[in-house]
Amino acid sequence: MNVLSHYKYVFQMQFLRNAGFLVFMILIQILISIGIVIGFTYLLPAPDTNSILFLATGAPTIILIFTGLVILPQQVGTAKSDGYMEFMRTWPVNRGVILGADTTIWLIITLPGIIISSIIAHLMFSPGYDISWTVIPALLMIALTSIGVGYGFSYLLSPTASLALSQVIVFGALMFSPVNFPLERLPEWLQALHQALPIYSMAEVMRASLAASTFEATAGNYINLLIWCVLGYGGAIIILNRK
Amino acid sequence: MILNVEAVTKGFTGRRENKMIANDNISLHIDEGEIYGLLGQNGAGKTTLVNQILGLITPDSGDIQLLGKSVLQSPERARSICSVQPQSQVPLGFLTPKQAVTLIGKMRAGKKFDPKRVEMLFEALDMGEWANKEGEKLSGGAKRLTAFCMAVIAPGKLVILDEPTNDVDPVRRRYLWQVIRNLTNDGTSVILVTHNVLEAEKAVDRVAIINKGRILTQGTPLEVKSSVSNQMRIELSLASELDIEIPSWALSSYKNGSRLFFAIDPQEVTATIEWAKRQVDKGLIMDYSLSPATIEDAYIELTSKKAVGL
Repeated sequence: MNVLSHYKYVFQMQFLRNAGFLVFMILIQILISIGIVIGFTYLLPAPDTNSILFLATGAPTIILIFTGLVILPQQVGTAKSDGYMEFMRTWPVNRGVILGADTTIWLIITLPGIIISSIIAHLMFSPGYDISWTVIPALLMIALTSIGVGYGFSYLLSPTASLALSQVIVFGALMFSPVNFPLERLPEWLQALHQALPIYSMAEVMRASLAASTFEATAGNYINLLIWCVLGYGGAIIILNRK
Repeated sequence: MILNVEAVTKGFTGRRENKMIANDNISLHIDEGEIYGLLGQNGAGKTTLVNQILGLITPDSGDIQLLGKSVLQSPERARSICSVQPQSQVPLGFLTPKQAVTLIGKMRAGKKFDPKRVEMLFEALDMGEWANKEGEKLSGGAKRLTAFCMAVIAPGKLVILDEPTNDVDPVRRRYLWQVIRNLTNDGTSVILVTHNVLEAEKAVDRVAIINKGRILTQGTPLEVKSSVSNQMRIELSLASELDIEIPSWALSSYKNGSRLFFAIDPQEVTATIEWAKRQVDKGLIMDYSLSPATIEDAYIELTSKKAVGL
C-alpha cells in the first residue's frame, strides 16, 4: 500500500481520536491570540500604531509557539505515559507518515486563531497590515520549526521534563522574547541568545510577511529556522525509529 | 513455519550499570495456524520477546525470522506481518470502537478491507451496544475487546495477543476464544501472552513457560503437564489463617489466602486423605479436594520450585 493512503488513514485516526480536544484547542487559540492583541494594549499607557503593529504581528507567532512547544509536548507526554505511543509504534506504516499526519493536525488548529485575531486587530486598530505572498511559506516554515522542535524535545525528554520545559518556554516566549516588542529592549546577553534560538527568527519572518512595508527579515532568520526545523524533525524521526 | 526465534538474548542496562537479562537464549518456532501460549510471571520477559518479534527492539544476539526473512533487516515488514493487541489499554480518546477498528482495518488491508468483518466481529463478541460510543466512556472490558478487534480485523500472518482477556467478562471470554480459534482456521497463527494459566491451557496448541528470561519447558499442554504428571494435587480450605503443618510427602505447595494447595505422588493418596480427615476432625480445615495435576501446577512447580509457601 502506498504512503498516501497510509497518510490518509493515520490522519483520520489521529484526528478523530482527538476531535473534541482539537475543537477546544482551536477556541483557546482564538481567545489567546485576540487576548494578546487587545490585552497587551492595556499594559501600554498610550500605545502608538507601531507598538500595536508589533503586538498584532506577534500574536500569530505566539500561537504557533504555543501550539508547537507547549500543547504538543503535553500531548506527546500523555501519549507516552498512557501507552498510545507504544501502540503507534506497532502500526504497519512508516513512522514519518505518523509524524506528517500529526503535523497537519497541529497546523490546522492554529489557523483559525491566526486568521480571526488578525482580522479583529485590523478592524479595531488598523495597525498597518501589509500582507505579502510570503505569508504562506513563512507561516509553514515557522509552524514546522515550532512543531518540529516540540516533537524533538518531547520525544527526547521524559514526560515530566518536557512538561517543565514547555512551561518555561510559554513564559519565556511571552515575557522575555522579542516577539511582541523590539529586540533592542532586551539586555545584550539575551539578545545574543535570541540570535541562536528560533523564537526571534520566527517573529521576524512572520512580521516581514504580515507587514511587508514596515519590517523585513534577514536571510539569517530563514537559515536559523531551517536549521531548527531539521534538527527537530530529524531528532524526532531518529527517536521514533530507535530500538 | 511462520516464526522462528533462534537463541535470542536481550539485556537492558539499568541504573549503576547493572545489566538485567530479559531474554536469555530463547529459541522457539511457530507453525501456520497454531496457537502458541507464552506463560510467565510478571517480569519474566514475555513482552520483551514480543517487542523483538515486532522489530521494536533489537536482540543483543540471536535472530528472529518471520516467513523466512530476518526481522532485523526489515522491521516495517515485521509490523505488517504481525498485528498486535498490546498489554496496556489502547486509549481511544473520542474514537468509537467502530471507527477505531475500521481505521486500523483500512490501514492494514487498504482496498481489500471488508467493512462487513467489523460487523461480524462485533456480533461475535456481542459488542453492538458499544459500537458507536466514544472510547473515553467505555468500560475497561469494552476497551479491551475493542483493542482485540483492532488486532484481528485484518490479521497478518501472526496475531500477538498480550493478555487479551483481562477485564473481559466470563461470557465474552468464551466468544473471544471462539474468534481466536476461527482465526487459526484461516491459517493465521496466534501468540498468546498471559499469566492466566488455566485459561491458556484450554486455548493453546503449544505452550512455553518462561521464567527469568529463559524458557523452562515447551510443548503441548499435555507434554508440559507430564513433567509433573504423575502428581496429584490436593486443595484445602483452611478454617483459619493459621499455618498448618504440611505432610512430609508433599512435593510442592503454595497458599492463596485461606486456600492451600500441594502436590503429592499418587501412591500417597490414601495417606493424604487420612491426613486430611484428621485435619478436618481437628477443625483446622473445612474441606478438601483431590484432582490430577493441571498445567497451573506444572507452572508453579517449574517457576517457584517450592519457594512459595514453604
